[in-house]
Amino acid sequence: MSEYESMIRRQRKWMLYLLAILVLGTGFTPYTEIFNGLILGTVISFYNLWLLQQKTNAFGKSVAESGTARGGLGVFSRLAAAAIGVLLALRFPEIFHIMAVAIGILSSYLIILFDMLIVIITQKKKPNNS
Amino acid sequence: MGALAAAIAVGLAALGAGVGNGLIVSRTVEGIARQPELRGQLQTTMFIGVGLVEAMPIIAVVIALMVM
Repeated sequence: MSEYESMIRRQRKWMLYLLAILVLGTGFTPYTEIFNGLILGTVISFYNLWLLQQKTNAFGKSVAESGTARGGLGVFSRLAAAAIGVLLALRFPEIFHIMAVAIGILSSYLIILFDMLIVIITQKKKPNNS
Repeated sequence: MGALAAAIAVGLAALGAGVGNGLIVSRTVEGIARQPELRGQLQTTMFIGVGLVEAMPIIAVVIALMVM
């Protein structure tokens, strides 16, 4: 498995852990709107992360095979997904907490940073790694 | 005026992200075209860079829609 594929798997695993914790929070705490908002934002963030992973992989493949860059990275789709999440939260304020949705949308970036930090720390601890 | 402010905020954030993404992707394309065997590492670096650069326009979209 390449470095990129293992990173994708780790990030998906962290996102699923986070979603599981948020579902538990919705079910077992009185802060339902906040956790609903966090779940909505995290699901959108998960979609954004998946889209970026797929597009980056396809982009790298096309460059390595043909030497030219074909297709984009899906920036507009990700912006539109974030806008849909915020619009849903604005339309249904009794179900979703707007600030929680905004924080949830940014969760994939926290996951990327967290994962990168863990990889750097574990690589430093390995003795025979240059 | 609220819509105009939101449009300016999102537009400027997208402009900055476009320049940043362009720099990252152009260097990655150069690197992969020179050494295709390093594709995994370069792709990983590009992924992290693009992901972090894109956080800014997404925050801008969220805030612009919230204040509009």
